[in-house]
Amino acid sequence: MSEKNQKLIADYLQGTLDDEGKKQVEELIAKGDIDFIDFRAMEQLHDELDMIQVPEPSKGMSSRFYTMLEEEKENIRGSIQEIIREKLSEFLNQVTMPRVAYAFILLIVGGFVGNQMGNNDSEIKELTSEMQTMREMMMVSMLEGPSTTDRLKAVNISAQLPSVDQKAIRALLFTLNNDESINVRVQTIEALTRWGDDPMVREGFVKAIANQDDDIVIVTLADAMVELGVKNSANEFQRLIDEKDLTGATKQKVENTIAVLL
Amino acid sequence: MMKVKDGDLDKLGLLFERYNRPLYSFFYRKTFESQLSEDLVQSVFERMLKYRTTYSGTGSFTTWMFSIARNAHIDHYRKEKRRREDEILDEEQIPGEVPAGYAEMDERNQKKMLLEKAIEQLDEDKKEVVLLSRFEGLRYQEIAEIQGVTESAVKVRMFRAMKELKQIVTTLSEEYSHE
Repeated sequence: MSEKNQKLIADYLQGTLDDEGKKQVEELIAKGDIDFIDFRAMEQLHDELDMIQVPEPSKGMSSRFYTMLEEEKENIRGSIQEIIREKLSEFLNQVTMPRVAYAFILLIVGGFVGNQMGNNDSEIKELTSEMQTMREMMMVSMLEGPSTTDRLKAVNISAQLPSVDQKAIRALLFTLNNDESINVRVQTIEALTRWGDDPMVREGFVKAIANQDDDIVIVTLADAMVELGVKNSANEFQRLIDEKDLTGATKQKVENTIAVLL
Repeated sequence: MMKVKDGDLDKLGLLFERYNRPLYSFFYRKTFESQLSEDLVQSVFERMLKYRTTYSGTGSFTTWMFSIARNAHIDHYRKEKRRREDEILDEEQIPGEVPAGYAEMDERNQKKMLLEKAIEQLDEDKKEVVLLSRFEGLRYQEIAEIQGVTESAVKVRMFRAMKELKQIVTTLSEEYSHE
Protein backbone atom coordinates (compact mmCIF):
# COMPACT_ATOMS: atom_id res chain seq x y z
CA MET A 1 0.00 0.00 0.00
CA SER A 2 1.26 3.47 -0.82
CA GLU A 3 2.47 5.73 2.01
CA LYS A 4 -0.20 8.22 1.02
CA ASN A 5 -2.93 5.66 1.72
CA GLN A 6 -1.22 4.56 4.94
CA LYS A 7 -1.31 8.14 6.20
CA LEU A 8 -4.95 8.44 5.15
CA ILE A 9 -5.85 5.38 7.23
CA ALA A 10 -3.85 6.72 10.19
CA ASP A 11 -5.88 9.95 9.99
CA TYR A 12 -9.08 7.91 9.75
CA LEU A 13 -8.17 5.95 12.88
CA GLN A 14 -7.53 9.13 14.84
CA GLY A 15 -10.84 10.56 13.72
CA THR A 16 -9.33 13.65 12.13
CA LEU A 17 -10.49 13.01 8.57
CA ASP A 18 -12.98 15.50 7.16
CA ASP A 19 -15.89 14.46 4.91
CA GLU A 20 -13.75 14.71 1.81
CA GLY A 21 -11.08 12.46 3.33
CA LYS A 22 -13.69 9.88 4.36
CA LYS A 23 -15.08 9.92 0.86
CA GLN A 24 -11.58 9.36 -0.47
CA VAL A 25 -11.18 6.28 1.77
CA GLU A 26 -14.51 4.90 0.54
CA GLU A 27 -13.42 5.38 -3.08
CA LEU A 28 -10.08 3.63 -2.46
CA ILE A 29 -11.92 0.71 -0.85
CA ALA A 30 -14.35 0.57 -3.78
CA LYS A 31 -11.44 0.51 -6.24
CA GLY A 32 -9.70 -2.21 -4.22
CA ASP A 33 -6.65 -0.05 -3.42
CA ILE A 34 -7.47 -0.53 0.26
CA ASP A 35 -8.51 -4.03 1.29
CA PHE A 36 -11.87 -3.65 3.02
CA ILE A 37 -11.44 -6.69 5.31
CA ASP A 38 -7.97 -5.57 6.45
CA PHE A 39 -9.26 -2.03 6.96
CA ARG A 40 -12.23 -3.16 9.08
CA ALA A 41 -10.02 -5.51 11.12
CA MET A 42 -7.62 -2.66 11.84
CA GLU A 43 -10.46 -0.33 12.82
CA GLN A 44 -11.91 -3.01 15.11
CA LEU A 45 -8.52 -3.63 16.72
CA HIS A 46 -8.13 0.12 17.27
CA ASP A 47 -11.47 0.11 19.15
CA GLU A 48 -10.60 -3.04 21.10
CA LEU A 49 -7.48 -1.41 22.56
CA ASP A 50 -9.88 0.05 25.14
CA MET A 51 -9.87 -3.39 26.76
CA ILE A 52 -6.40 -2.72 28.15
CA GLN A 53 -7.38 -1.38 31.56
CA VAL A 54 -5.05 0.53 33.84
CA PRO A 55 -5.22 -0.10 37.62
CA GLU A 56 -5.43 2.79 40.12
CA PRO A 57 -2.04 4.07 41.27
CA SER A 58 -1.41 3.75 45.01
CA LYS A 59 -1.94 6.67 47.42
CA GLY A 60 1.82 6.50 48.00
CA MET A 61 2.44 8.05 44.59
CA SER A 62 0.78 11.27 45.65
CA SER A 63 2.53 11.29 49.05
CA ARG A 64 5.94 10.82 47.44
CA PHE A 65 5.31 13.67 45.04
CA TYR A 66 4.23 16.16 47.70
CA THR A 67 7.11 15.18 49.99
CA MET A 68 9.54 15.71 47.11
CA LEU A 69 7.95 19.08 46.33
CA GLU A 70 8.21 20.25 49.93
CA GLU A 71 11.84 19.12 50.14
CA GLU A 72 12.62 21.11 47.01
CA LYS A 73 10.88 24.17 48.42
CA GLU A 74 12.83 23.85 51.64
CA ASN A 75 16.09 23.50 49.72
CA ILE A 76 15.34 26.75 47.95
CA ARG A 77 14.49 28.47 51.18
CA GLY A 78 17.79 27.36 52.68
CA SER A 79 19.27 30.83 53.00
CA ILE A 80 21.32 31.70 56.09
CA GLN A 81 18.55 33.95 57.33
CA GLU A 82 16.08 31.14 57.04
CA ILE A 83 18.39 28.70 58.82
CA ILE A 84 18.81 31.12 61.73
CA ARG A 85 15.07 31.68 61.90
CA GLU A 86 14.35 27.96 61.84
CA LYS A 87 16.98 27.22 64.49
CA LEU A 88 15.39 29.82 66.70
CA SER A 89 12.01 28.39 66.00
CA GLU A 90 13.27 24.88 66.72
CA PHE A 91 14.64 26.10 70.03
CA LEU A 92 11.28 27.62 70.93
CA ASN A 93 9.54 24.44 69.95
CA GLN A 94 11.72 22.27 72.11
CA VAL A 95 9.01 22.48 74.71
CA THR A 96 7.25 19.76 72.74
CA MET A 97 10.33 17.52 72.72
CA PRO A 98 9.83 16.15 76.25
CA ARG A 99 6.55 14.67 75.03
CA VAL A 100 8.34 12.79 72.27
CA ALA A 101 11.13 11.75 74.63
CA TYR A 102 8.54 10.52 77.12
CA ALA A 103 6.90 8.44 74.39
CA PHE A 104 10.23 6.81 73.50
CA ILE A 105 10.99 6.03 77.12
CA LEU A 106 7.51 4.56 77.44
CA LEU A 107 8.19 2.31 74.47
CA ILE A 108 11.57 1.10 75.78
CA VAL A 109 10.26 0.50 79.28
CA GLY A 110 7.19 -1.21 77.86
CA GLY A 111 9.34 -3.47 75.71
CA PHE A 112 11.62 -4.33 78.65
CA VAL A 113 8.76 -5.08 81.02
CA GLY A 114 7.01 -7.11 78.38
CA ASN A 115 10.14 -9.17 77.83
CA GLN A 116 10.52 -9.80 81.56
CA MET A 117 6.94 -10.86 82.07
CA GLY A 118 6.67 -13.25 79.15
CA ASN A 119 4.68 -12.93 75.97
CA ASN A 120 1.03 -13.30 76.61
CA ASP A 121 -1.60 -11.79 74.37
CA SER A 122 -2.76 -9.06 76.70
CA GLU A 123 0.77 -7.72 77.16
CA ILE A 124 1.36 -7.70 73.44
CA LYS A 125 -1.91 -5.85 72.97
CA GLU A 126 -0.92 -3.38 75.65
CA LEU A 127 2.45 -2.81 74.03
CA THR A 128 0.86 -2.37 70.62
CA SER A 129 -1.53 0.12 72.11
CA GLU A 130 1.35 2.03 73.73
CA MET A 131 3.21 2.12 70.42
CA GLN A 132 0.07 3.42 68.75
CA THR A 133 -0.25 6.12 71.41
CA MET A 134 3.39 7.03 70.93
CA ARG A 135 3.01 7.34 67.18
CA GLU A 136 -0.07 9.49 67.63
CA MET A 137 1.81 11.74 70.06
CA MET A 138 4.69 12.04 67.64
CA MET A 139 2.27 12.85 64.88
CA VAL A 140 0.49 15.56 66.88
CA SER A 141 3.84 17.08 67.94
CA MET A 142 5.14 17.08 64.37
CA LEU A 143 1.90 18.65 63.08
CA GLU A 144 2.58 21.60 65.35
CA GLY A 145 6.17 21.98 64.10
CA PRO A 146 7.51 24.77 61.88
CA SER A 147 8.87 22.53 59.11
CA THR A 148 6.47 21.80 56.27
CA THR A 149 8.29 18.54 55.48
CA ASP A 150 7.82 17.38 59.07
CA ARG A 151 4.14 18.26 58.97
CA LEU A 152 3.77 16.30 55.73
CA LYS A 153 5.57 13.37 57.36
CA ALA A 154 3.18 13.65 60.32
CA VAL A 155 0.20 13.45 57.98
CA ASN A 156 1.74 10.42 56.30
CA ILE A 157 2.30 8.77 59.71
CA SER A 158 -1.40 9.25 60.45
CA ALA A 159 -2.29 7.56 57.17
CA GLN A 160 -0.36 4.46 58.28
CA LEU A 161 -2.05 4.14 61.69
CA PRO A 162 -4.57 1.29 61.95
CA SER A 163 -6.90 3.56 63.93
CA VAL A 164 -6.85 7.08 65.35
CA ASP A 165 -8.39 8.65 68.43
CA GLN A 166 -10.40 11.85 68.67
CA LYS A 167 -7.33 13.87 69.65
CA ALA A 168 -5.48 12.88 66.48
CA ILE A 169 -8.53 13.63 64.35
CA ARG A 170 -8.88 17.05 66.00
CA ALA A 171 -5.19 17.76 65.24
CA LEU A 172 -5.63 16.75 61.61
CA LEU A 173 -8.79 18.84 61.23
CA PHE A 174 -6.99 21.81 62.80
CA THR A 175 -4.23 21.32 60.22
CA LEU A 176 -6.78 21.16 57.41
CA ASN A 177 -8.29 24.47 58.51
CA ASN A 178 -5.13 26.36 59.43
CA ASP A 179 -1.99 25.01 57.79
CA GLU A 180 -0.35 27.54 55.51
CA SER A 181 0.89 24.85 53.10
CA ILE A 182 -1.50 23.75 50.36
CA ASN A 183 0.33 20.44 50.04
CA VAL A 184 -0.07 19.65 53.73
CA ARG A 185 -3.80 20.44 53.54
CA VAL A 186 -4.26 18.25 50.44
CA GLN A 187 -2.47 15.33 52.09
CA THR A 188 -4.48 15.87 55.28
CA ILE A 189 -7.72 15.48 53.34
CA GLU A 190 -6.45 12.23 51.85
CA ALA A 191 -5.36 10.96 55.27
CA LEU A 192 -8.66 11.92 56.94
CA THR A 193 -10.63 10.24 54.14
CA ARG A 194 -9.40 6.92 55.55
CA TRP A 195 -11.37 7.67 58.72
CA GLY A 196 -14.38 8.88 56.75
CA ASP A 197 -16.81 6.68 58.68
CA ASP A 198 -16.15 8.69 61.84
CA PRO A 199 -18.90 11.33 62.32
CA MET A 200 -16.30 13.79 63.68
CA VAL A 201 -14.32 13.55 60.44
CA ARG A 202 -17.42 13.97 58.27
CA GLU A 203 -18.60 16.98 60.27
CA GLY A 204 -15.07 18.41 60.27
CA PHE A 205 -14.86 18.11 56.49
CA VAL A 206 -18.16 19.96 56.04
CA LYS A 207 -17.06 22.79 58.35
CA ALA A 208 -13.65 23.00 56.61
CA ILE A 209 -15.19 23.78 53.21
CA ALA A 210 -15.86 27.42 54.10
CA ASN A 211 -12.24 27.93 55.22
CA GLN A 212 -10.64 26.97 51.92
CA ASP A 213 -9.48 29.40 49.27
CA ASP A 214 -7.12 27.31 47.20
CA ASP A 215 -8.34 25.53 44.05
CA ILE A 216 -6.43 22.27 44.65
CA VAL A 217 -7.70 21.97 48.22
CA ILE A 218 -11.30 22.70 47.19
CA VAL A 219 -11.15 20.16 44.36
CA THR A 220 -9.60 17.53 46.67
CA LEU A 221 -12.29 18.21 49.30
CA ALA A 222 -14.98 17.88 46.64
CA ASP A 223 -13.58 14.50 45.56
CA ALA A 224 -13.45 13.34 49.19
CA MET A 225 -17.07 14.37 49.82
CA VAL A 226 -18.23 12.40 46.79
CA GLU A 227 -16.12 9.39 47.76
CA LEU A 228 -17.53 9.43 51.31
CA GLY A 229 -21.06 10.38 50.20
CA VAL A 230 -21.31 13.33 52.63
CA LYS A 231 -24.58 14.69 51.28
CA ASN A 232 -24.87 17.56 53.76
CA SER A 233 -21.69 19.09 52.33
CA ALA A 234 -23.69 20.17 49.25
CA ASN A 235 -25.08 23.26 51.06
CA GLU A 236 -21.58 24.34 52.13
CA PHE A 237 -20.31 23.95 48.57
CA GLN A 238 -23.24 26.03 47.30
CA ARG A 239 -22.36 28.73 49.84
CA LEU A 240 -18.75 28.58 48.64
CA ILE A 241 -19.88 29.25 45.07
CA ASP A 242 -22.16 32.09 46.20
CA GLU A 243 -19.66 33.80 48.46
CA LYS A 244 -16.26 33.23 46.88
CA ASP A 245 -14.93 34.12 43.48
CA LEU A 246 -13.92 30.64 42.30
CA THR A 247 -12.05 30.11 39.04
CA GLY A 248 -13.99 28.62 36.11
CA ALA A 249 -12.71 25.03 36.32
CA THR A 250 -13.05 24.89 40.12
CA LYS A 251 -16.55 26.35 40.04
CA GLN A 252 -17.52 23.75 37.44
CA LYS A 253 -16.04 20.99 39.58
CA VAL A 254 -17.93 22.16 42.68
CA GLU A 255 -21.19 22.41 40.72
CA ASN A 256 -20.70 18.85 39.45
CA THR A 257 -19.99 17.72 43.00
CA ILE A 258 -23.20 19.30 44.27
CA ALA A 259 -25.14 17.59 41.46
CA VAL A 260 -23.65 14.21 42.44
CA LEU A 261 -24.30 14.72 46.15
CA LEU A 262 -27.94 15.80 45.81
CA MET B 1 4.25 25.66 34.24
CA MET B 2 5.42 29.22 33.63
CA LYS B 3 4.49 30.00 37.24
CA VAL B 4 6.55 27.02 38.43
CA LYS B 5 9.43 28.32 36.33
CA ASP B 6 9.05 31.72 38.01
CA GLY B 7 9.39 30.13 41.44
CA ASP B 8 5.78 29.36 42.42
CA LEU B 9 6.51 25.68 43.06
CA ASP B 10 3.07 25.01 44.58
CA LYS B 11 1.62 25.26 41.09
CA LEU B 12 3.42 22.00 40.29
CA GLY B 13 0.88 20.39 42.64
CA LEU B 14 -1.87 21.55 40.31
CA LEU B 15 -0.04 20.01 37.35
CA PHE B 16 0.45 16.80 39.33
CA GLU B 17 -3.27 16.57 40.13
CA ARG B 18 -4.13 17.11 36.48
CA TYR B 19 -1.53 14.92 34.81
CA ASN B 20 -0.45 12.13 37.18
CA ARG B 21 -3.11 9.73 35.88
CA PRO B 22 -2.42 10.22 32.14
CA LEU B 23 1.30 9.79 32.83
CA TYR B 24 0.73 6.73 35.00
CA SER B 25 -1.52 5.19 32.32
CA PHE B 26 1.06 5.92 29.64
CA PHE B 27 3.81 4.19 31.61
CA TYR B 28 1.56 1.32 32.71
CA ARG B 29 0.56 0.50 29.14
CA LYS B 30 4.23 0.66 28.18
CA THR B 31 5.49 -1.59 30.97
CA PHE B 32 2.47 -3.32 32.57
CA GLU B 33 4.17 -2.81 35.95
CA SER B 34 2.36 -0.69 38.57
CA GLN B 35 5.29 0.11 40.86
CA LEU B 36 7.63 0.92 38.00
CA SER B 37 4.97 3.19 36.47
CA GLU B 38 4.62 5.08 39.75
CA ASP B 39 8.42 5.45 39.96
CA LEU B 40 8.53 6.82 36.44
CA VAL B 41 5.74 9.33 37.19
CA GLN B 42 7.78 10.53 40.17
CA SER B 43 10.84 10.76 37.96
CA VAL B 44 8.95 12.94 35.43
CA PHE B 45 7.90 15.43 38.11
CA GLU B 46 11.42 15.47 39.58
CA ARG B 47 12.76 16.29 36.13
CA MET B 48 10.13 19.00 35.65
CA LEU B 49 11.38 20.63 38.83
CA LYS B 50 15.02 20.16 37.92
CA TYR B 51 14.67 21.47 34.38
CA ARG B 52 11.91 24.03 35.02
CA THR B 53 14.11 26.90 33.88
CA THR B 54 14.42 25.30 30.43
CA TYR B 55 10.65 25.41 29.88
CA SER B 56 10.07 27.96 27.16
CA GLY B 57 6.28 27.98 27.08
CA THR B 58 6.28 28.19 23.29
CA GLY B 59 4.94 24.68 22.57
CA SER B 60 2.18 22.80 24.33
CA PHE B 61 2.81 21.73 27.93
CA THR B 62 1.58 18.19 27.18
CA THR B 63 4.19 17.78 24.46
CA TRP B 64 6.94 18.96 26.79
CA MET B 65 5.71 16.66 29.56
CA PHE B 66 5.53 13.56 27.36
CA SER B 67 9.00 14.35 25.96
CA ILE B 68 10.28 14.20 29.54
CA ALA B 69 8.28 11.00 30.11
CA ARG B 70 9.81 9.46 27.01
CA ASN B 71 13.33 10.30 28.20
CA ALA B 72 12.61 8.98 31.69
CA HIS B 73 11.50 5.68 30.20
CA ILE B 74 14.50 5.49 27.85
CA ASP B 75 16.88 6.11 30.77
CA HIS B 76 15.18 3.44 32.82
CA TYR B 77 15.28 1.01 29.90
CA ARG B 78 19.03 1.60 29.43
CA LYS B 79 19.78 1.04 33.11
CA GLU B 80 17.62 -2.07 33.13
CA LYS B 81 19.35 -3.41 30.03
CA ARG B 82 22.76 -3.00 31.66
CA ARG B 83 21.52 -4.71 34.82
CA ARG B 84 20.06 -7.62 32.89
CA GLU B 85 23.24 -8.19 30.95
CA ASP B 86 24.79 -9.25 34.23
CA GLU B 87 22.13 -11.79 34.93
CA ILE B 88 22.14 -15.26 33.41
CA LEU B 89 18.45 -15.92 33.67
CA ASP B 90 15.47 -14.01 34.88
CA GLU B 91 12.00 -15.12 35.81
CA GLU B 92 10.24 -13.68 32.82
CA GLN B 93 8.08 -15.74 30.61
CA ILE B 94 9.87 -17.58 27.80
CA PRO B 95 8.71 -16.29 24.37
CA GLY B 96 6.12 -18.57 22.84
CA GLU B 97 5.01 -19.98 26.17
CA VAL B 98 1.30 -19.76 26.92
CA PRO B 99 0.65 -17.30 29.81
CA ALA B 100 -0.50 -18.90 33.05
CA GLY B 101 -4.28 -19.33 33.26
CA TYR B 102 -4.86 -18.39 29.63
CA ALA B 103 -6.86 -21.56 28.80
CA GLU B 104 -9.25 -20.96 31.73
CA MET B 105 -10.03 -17.35 30.77
CA ASP B 106 -13.23 -16.31 29.01
CA GLU B 107 -12.99 -14.96 25.49
CA ARG B 108 -12.89 -11.30 26.53
CA ASN B 109 -10.04 -11.79 28.98
CA GLN B 110 -8.13 -13.88 26.45
CA LYS B 111 -8.49 -11.03 23.97
CA LYS B 112 -7.33 -8.54 26.57
CA MET B 113 -4.25 -10.63 27.31
CA LEU B 114 -3.48 -11.04 23.60
CA LEU B 115 -3.66 -7.28 23.15
CA GLU B 116 -1.35 -6.67 26.11
CA LYS B 117 1.18 -9.23 24.84
CA ALA B 118 0.96 -7.75 21.34
CA ILE B 119 1.51 -4.18 22.60
CA GLU B 120 4.54 -5.41 24.56
CA GLN B 121 6.07 -6.82 21.37
CA LEU B 122 5.87 -3.58 19.39
CA ASP B 123 9.07 -1.60 19.19
CA GLU B 124 9.15 1.44 21.48
CA ASP B 125 8.60 4.09 18.79
CA LYS B 126 5.54 2.39 17.36
CA LYS B 127 4.21 1.57 20.82
CA GLU B 128 4.51 5.24 21.80
CA VAL B 129 2.63 6.42 18.73
CA VAL B 130 -0.25 4.05 19.48
CA LEU B 131 -0.38 4.93 23.19
CA LEU B 132 -0.10 8.69 22.76
CA SER B 133 -2.56 8.83 19.90
CA ARG B 134 -5.10 6.23 21.00
CA PHE B 135 -5.14 6.79 24.77
CA GLU B 136 -3.72 10.23 25.50
CA GLY B 137 -5.42 11.98 22.59
CA LEU B 138 -2.28 13.65 21.24
CA ARG B 139 -2.31 14.81 17.64
CA TYR B 140 0.19 13.33 15.21
CA GLN B 141 1.96 16.71 15.00
CA GLU B 142 2.49 16.69 18.79
CA ILE B 143 3.78 13.11 18.72
CA ALA B 144 6.13 14.13 15.91
CA GLU B 145 7.60 16.84 18.16
CA ILE B 146 8.06 14.35 20.99
CA GLN B 147 9.76 11.77 18.78
CA GLY B 148 11.73 14.32 16.77
CA VAL B 149 10.42 13.17 13.38
CA THR B 150 7.98 14.53 10.79
CA GLU B 151 4.22 14.28 11.12
CA SER B 152 4.17 12.10 7.99
CA ALA B 153 6.59 9.66 9.60
CA VAL B 154 4.33 9.41 12.66
CA LYS B 155 1.29 8.64 10.52
CA VAL B 156 3.16 5.91 8.68
CA ARG B 157 4.37 4.54 12.06
CA MET B 158 0.78 4.49 13.30
CA PHE B 159 -0.42 2.55 10.29
CA ARG B 160 2.45 0.07 10.50
CA ALA B 161 2.04 -0.33 14.25
CA MET B 162 -1.63 -1.22 13.86
CA LYS B 163 -0.85 -3.62 11.03
CA GLU B 164 1.86 -5.27 13.12
CA LEU B 165 -0.43 -5.45 16.15
CA LYS B 166 -3.06 -7.21 14.07
CA GLN B 167 -0.46 -9.71 12.86
CA ILE B 168 0.93 -10.36 16.36
CA VAL B 169 -2.55 -10.87 17.84
CA THR B 170 -3.36 -13.42 15.11
CA THR B 171 -0.06 -15.27 15.57
CA LEU B 172 -0.27 -15.36 19.38
CA SER B 173 -3.90 -16.45 19.28
CA GLU B 174 -2.95 -19.41 17.08
CA GLU B 175 0.09 -20.29 19.20
CA TYR B 176 -1.83 -20.21 22.46
CA SER B 177 -4.79 -22.23 21.18
CA HIS B 178 -2.54 -24.98 19.76
CA GLU B 179 -0.66 -25.64 22.98
